[in-house]
Amino acid sequence: MFNSKLATRLGVAAVSALVLTHSVQAETHLNVAVKADRYSIKSDKFTFTTRRPAAQIAETAVKPDANFNPSPLLFKDWEYRDGTYTVTLQEGVTFSDGTVFDADSAIASLKLYDQNKSDFLQLDQASFEKLGEYQISFRSEVESALVIENMTHRGASLFLPSDTMADNPIGTGPYTLKSYEPKKQITVTRNPDYWGEAPKVDTLTFHFIGDDNARMLALQNGEVDVIGEVTPQMMLSMPQDGSVILNESRPIRYAALMFNMLGKAPYDITADLKVRQALAYAIDRETLAQVLYGGKGQAAKTILPGWMFDLGDDHAKGFGFDTAKSNALLDEAGWRAGVDGIREKDGRKLSLRMVAAYPNVSTVKPMPEMLDQMFAAIGVDIEIIEVDDSGVYNDTYFGPGAADMYLEFASNNNTDPTYLLYNVFTTMSPWGYAVTSPGGNVDELAKAARVASSRTEAVDLVRQAYKSIVDEHTSTIPILLVPNFTLSRPGVTVPMSEYADWIGYGDVTFAQ
Amino acid sequence: MLKFLLTRFATALPTVLGMSFVAFAIVALAPGDPVQMELRAMGVVPKPEDIAALKAEYGLDQPFFIRYGAWLWRALHLDFGTSVATGRSVISEIGLYMPATLTLALSALFGAVVISLVLGTLAIMAHRFTATGVRVLTILLVSVPSFWLALLFIHIFILNLGWARLIGDGTVYDLILPALTLSLGAGAALGRFVYERAYAEACEDYVRLAIAKGVTPVRILVCHIGPRIIGPLTTVWANALGGLLGGAVIVESIFGWPGLGQLILQAIGQRDFPVIQGYLVLMGLIFFAMSFVADIVVILADPQLRRKVSND
Repeated sequence: MFNSKLATRLGVAAVSALVLTHSVQAETHLNVAVKADRYSIKSDKFTFTTRRPAAQIAETAVKPDANFNPSPLLFKDWEYRDGTYTVTLQEGVTFSDGTVFDADSAIASLKLYDQNKSDFLQLDQASFEKLGEYQISFRSEVESALVIENMTHRGASLFLPSDTMADNPIGTGPYTLKSYEPKKQITVTRNPDYWGEAPKVDTLTFHFIGDDNARMLALQNGEVDVIGEVTPQMMLSMPQDGSVILNESRPIRYAALMFNMLGKAPYDITADLKVRQALAYAIDRETLAQVLYGGKGQAAKTILPGWMFDLGDDHAKGFGFDTAKSNALLDEAGWRAGVDGIREKDGRKLSLRMVAAYPNVSTVKPMPEMLDQMFAAIGVDIEIIEVDDSGVYNDTYFGPGAADMYLEFASNNNTDPTYLLYNVFTTMSPWGYAVTSPGGNVDELAKAARVASSRTEAVDLVRQAYKSIVDEHTSTIPILLVPNFTLSRPGVTVPMSEYADWIGYGDVTFAQ
Repeated sequence: MLKFLLTRFATALPTVLGMSFVAFAIVALAPGDPVQMELRAMGVVPKPEDIAALKAEYGLDQPFFIRYGAWLWRALHLDFGTSVATGRSVISEIGLYMPATLTLALSALFGAVVISLVLGTLAIMAHRFTATGVRVLTILLVSVPSFWLALLFIHIFILNLGWARLIGDGTVYDLILPALTLSLGAGAALGRFVYERAYAEACEDYVRLAIAKGVTPVRILVCHIGPRIIGPLTTVWANALGGLLGGAVIVESIFGWPGLGQLILQAIGQRDFPVIQGYLVLMGLIFFAMSFVADIVVILADPQLRRKVSND
């Protein structure tokens, strides 16, 4: 009798311990180190929990698919006809407070973004119509055919309007806010009523650590599992003993040299197409790719990777490494070798000023020095100006056109195929890129793409524009295409995305 | 004393005003448009009216002196505006970071004072060989950059020994390494000052008299030299606190300590003008306050000065 009771108790204890152990093991917590806290709690510029890695609480209407085309998320399907968007909403979705995501709440959420001074959806506030319980329609106030594309931007995540949004944001996402300590950390915990597939990780904590070195040391010390924002310097200092794992996406960011196309003295030498082409052929991209970004970059023929928008790898011919061709082009342009090895023409030296870089020179080091050597090999003297501050870059050198060339490191992180083209490569650029834009046919192609009747037509026009920029005008020389990176400790696998805001931290897996 | 205090305040006013002007002008005239930078950072394509609205919101569309006047008026009411980046008031932003920086700076100052007194006393009282060793150590500590020391400590105490962590929660435990990093350099510099002042006093007649009367060296140092040098030392300590507050930027950054250093680095990068201006004014005021406190301590510590101020 005694033995059977004891056996029963022991059995119960063993089962309890097993259950307890299992539940402890099942509880997963991921610590992610990110840079500074960049969230704004202002209602008209609300970015809190919508941007950067912590964007787990609210979801966007659509999400980018593998090729950066919009695919369903909260919008099940959509149609654009005669300036009107007709949208069918996903059914069975609820906000984290239990409110049903239907036509009424969707319209209320979308209207939030029209109150925003920095709104890029530009929805016509008066055009919203409820067509059914799960169907709505609206128009763009600027007749844009690319509103849906812009909705893939995390900044357009849909929140339930409330007066306490800054303290308690309510979305439909896989996580809910647990705590937010400004400048220190933000913790989100799994939304038990999430409508979609539940994420693998129970709790995510994002630690704001501004210093690159401190982030790396925190990872090495096991205080964080993943580093969400990786700089080239961190890759250079990354230990090679396997204690830190590099996770990479497909190449997305471009490093490119943009020429001053205004042609005003003394920065008028690169107004000559032959000089630009000569410089393009003088760049040994393979060597640069081996040295920079831990050798993970790729020599670039084009500005955008071929997979993006299905542009195709050969949408521009680009330039190989051919110094003989460079020398021939410079000879043709009338630049002859001088006694000091620097080419001259009519008593003027072939000296060019190169400003490196946007957003800062740290992102492209030591590319400026390597380019200097490559250009010196064809008799071109380079004055390198290294700038580590985008304000100085823009105000002192870029805006006034006070250089011949500008080195930039950027990416197209929007599923609108005209986004980068229009804003960075046309004379209509609101960011001041008229300085480096070829104008003419590129402007026309970009304008046409923005009002194209179909996405296919828009992408085709964009493809032609990029081809023209590189092959015809050579106003920008593509140099490298670089992946998006994260670092993790061994055993932690991060499902990468080319778009930093879309990295699935909730689906990180831990090795047994 | 009251007259002294009022006079001291009155003479400080032009300095504070000048400081506020410099703080405003440096930031306002620096390259970089915060509105454009903010919009581009958000991936937003601005229309001219968007930019104009934002500039009007932050008062950036006004002439320089009108902006300065308006800003100064608000600053007098402790309203330094709203952070362009976060939407919180500048005072709230500073309030988020200030406790951490104050804790770090005060801890570092305490450590520096202790180190300086120990090093200074040892240097003056020890045998020649030991004293030389102490002076060499002092020179070494003064010469070592704080960032190098910080990295050395991280490698030894965090990565190898595992006695501390990088991502702390602001507890005393997390404070030890950054405070020690700051206090070693500052303490060594202050130690040299303690040594020089004490050495100079040791040559005075009253010290010789005390020696002749058979007073012990420790008693001479504590009871005779100590009161004479406490005034100048207080001034140096006060200045050191100001230096530690402003100079903790790098150490805070390396240890991930959530102090004002992080705030100002981020604000400069984002051209968050209101925050930078508020920070500069605040730092200026802290320096002023420290120097003011030091002046009072000097007067209280020196009987001659105390009598002179009382008679005035």
